[in-house]
Amino acid sequence: MRSRDGQSPPALGFLTVVGHEPLGLFGGYLVLNHNGRPLEFHCTTPVKPNRAQEILYGPTLEPFLYGEQIGRALVEKSSVDVQLICTDLAAVLAVREHVSQPVALVLPPEVEERPCPPPGATASRNSLPESGLEARPTPATPAFRIDAAHVHGILPAPFSLGRNRLAIAADHADDRQRLAGVLESLAGHFDLSEPFARIRGAIDEARRGAR
Amino acid sequence: MIPLGTILFVRAPDVTRIEHSFPPVETRAHGANVLAGGPIEVVSIAPAPLRPGVVSVPLGKPAIKIFGYLFPQSTLADRAPALPAAPLGAKVRRAPPPAATPATCTRLKPPGDVIKLADRLFYVLQPPLETVVAGQALDFPFHPFPYQFEGIAFLYPRYAAILADEMGLGKSMQAITAVRLLLHAGEIRTVLLVCPKPLITNWRREFQLWAPELPVVVIEGEQTKRLWQWKTDCPVKLANYELLQRDRDALVEPGLHFDLVVLDESQRIKNRDCATSQIVRSISRSRNWALTGTPVENSPDDLVGIFEFLSPGHLSTTMKPRRMGQLASDYVLRRTKDRVLTELPPKMFRDADVTLTSEQRETYRLAEDEGVLRLTELGEGATIQHVFELVLRLKQICNFDPATGASAKLERLEADLEEVAASGRKALVFSQWVGTLDKLRRRLARFGPLAYHGGVASRRRDEVLREFKESSERRVLLISYGAGSVGLNLQFAQYVFLFDRWWNPAVEDQAINRVHRIGTAGPVTVTRFLALGTIEERINQILEEKRELFDTIFSDVEPHRHAGLTRNEIFGLFRLKCPSGPLDLAA
Repeated sequence: MRSRDGQSPPALGFLTVVGHEPLGLFGGYLVLNHNGRPLEFHCTTPVKPNRAQEILYGPTLEPFLYGEQIGRALVEKSSVDVQLICTDLAAVLAVREHVSQPVALVLPPEVEERPCPPPGATASRNSLPESGLEARPTPATPAFRIDAAHVHGILPAPFSLGRNRLAIAADHADDRQRLAGVLESLAGHFDLSEPFARIRGAIDEARRGAR
Repeated sequence: MIPLGTILFVRAPDVTRIEHSFPPVETRAHGANVLAGGPIEVVSIAPAPLRPGVVSVPLGKPAIKIFGYLFPQSTLADRAPALPAAPLGAKVRRAPPPAATPATCTRLKPPGDVIKLADRLFYVLQPPLETVVAGQALDFPFHPFPYQFEGIAFLYPRYAAILADEMGLGKSMQAITAVRLLLHAGEIRTVLLVCPKPLITNWRREFQLWAPELPVVVIEGEQTKRLWQWKTDCPVKLANYELLQRDRDALVEPGLHFDLVVLDESQRIKNRDCATSQIVRSISRSRNWALTGTPVENSPDDLVGIFEFLSPGHLSTTMKPRRMGQLASDYVLRRTKDRVLTELPPKMFRDADVTLTSEQRETYRLAEDEGVLRLTELGEGATIQHVFELVLRLKQICNFDPATGASAKLERLEADLEEVAASGRKALVFSQWVGTLDKLRRRLARFGPLAYHGGVASRRRDEVLREFKESSERRVLLISYGAGSVGLNLQFAQYVFLFDRWWNPAVEDQAINRVHRIGTAGPVTVTRFLALGTIEERINQILEEKRELFDTIFSDVEPHRHAGLTRNEIFGLFRLKCPSGPLDLAA
């Protein structure tokens, strides 16, 4: 990724996935400058896993689709280097394996302090922070498992930066320090959860416009 | 055939065979197997090497197609103020700093006439207005209400818009803030705001209050000066409607272009054929906004007239009101205080029905009989002008008996004002005639009345308002509907008396809302005088019908009955049949 003018203006990336029945998953990636102004927006056409993928990927389907496939494709499409990537879906954290920037899961402030379960765990709908999870598609059939999913590690406890509550992938614990460095001057007034509403609005607009 | 009791296991090709024999069993109807005894017959089968079929499930990777949108470098949220600093001496009052998390989140929505997806996304992806305001360090003297943010978000992306909020909700503030944001974002560079002449000082004051850093020039003075002012680079120009007619040639000069033209009290151009309407339509401009609390005063044609300025041809006079309302809906934002200012003190109406004094009654009867007789004699030659002349004469008699000065309304008003004065409050008294106001001023001298009407010099008017506000001796302000029904902020008064009734309810509402608006200290009491058994009572019925017409266009509520003022109804005021031939609607 390179900025268009060869420089790297301070920018933040916001990445999420929106489920829509019956079309499938829409990915959205919004790049903002430090004032919250949009610099770029990218969205995908709907992606829908087939039945075999749903069965065979099991609980790892969401990290695979959200992070590895949709998220990675969107981030690679962007022409602006971002300092960090924020998401409101735990499953999108899987994109961290494919990007160099720190990836932060933005949690709603009202979530009580507790460790997050693994992003791919089936029980995540009940036990993960509520942010954005409503937007995820409900699997066609419920999945049951008795062991831990093959995920990228357990999420460490959420932490606060300014007014925002964040979590990171456990395999990238040093991201916390990097996030703090980037958000030091921003986190006080920048509500990192707000841009996701814009992405959802834009995806909805694009979806209606495509009809 | 494998006999009963033999079980074969075939596991894999590399296992030749596995045989097990069990004693013969008998299968009963209920499904239980029972040992039958006797020798066990063993059958050996040499299995052929099995090669199970393999079904491959291609997982693959989903094909992901991506659409990308890049945004211009200068937009709403990302501009340090690029405008000249506030004029020296301008006082900037700061609103309390916003809370860390804004209580409301107002987003820009693309107008319906923005078609391209990229253009629509441009608006959808902008940050909430509250964030923009907080991030840009824009000073506000007071923190805007949520509905005001919505109004700003409505105006900001629109090239054609009517902000039709009820009077007192802050249309000026919303328009100024939208202008301010557009100027800061670099989306516009030149703005012309046109308003009635008496409101120029009010607008200048509002700009100083809500956008102190914006340079504003008022087009005024001699012609040479005005021609120079029209050509200056000042981003905001204020002009009055009357002046536009004098500077018509300058306005249409090549090179004079405005990125935005805002018409305050835009009902002034409801008549498409009037000179003012033609002039404002001739101004070269990119965006058009209209501000009015009364987009429909008399008939749906009023709205068509305003749209001729905003978006010519979008509406036509042949449309039915409901269809017109549908087509206009994306262009018009209309809120009422009842809906958005639930915390505003209540507005209470009292209909003061008075019975004319005997002197008034006699004079009234004579005048009406004489007038109706004359109209009857005119027959087909009777015009609406003749009817209006009679109406006005009768209404004046309802106020005061011309011969004796007797007035049932005045008697009632005096009693009410005694109470107002005793409570230490202030009142406005509206009439459509300066003559009536003059009589009231003499008869109400003990309340220290001040007058504000067309007969008061423009330079004196601000002083009158200031004195009324500050002096405890001045309890009553006598105002004409024409001069005082728009643009004045008189929320320190709490009583409004409509000594006589105007032709349409919108003007009455405007008058009332001089007092009942943001900042009102307490409940507002409105007293509407009505002389029983007179023309006023019949006019009141027509006013109610006009209110229903307004509701038909600006709400989804079906009208309960026919709305509007027809020729028959005008002549029907005197139970006369309408003659043939063209007649205008009542003004």
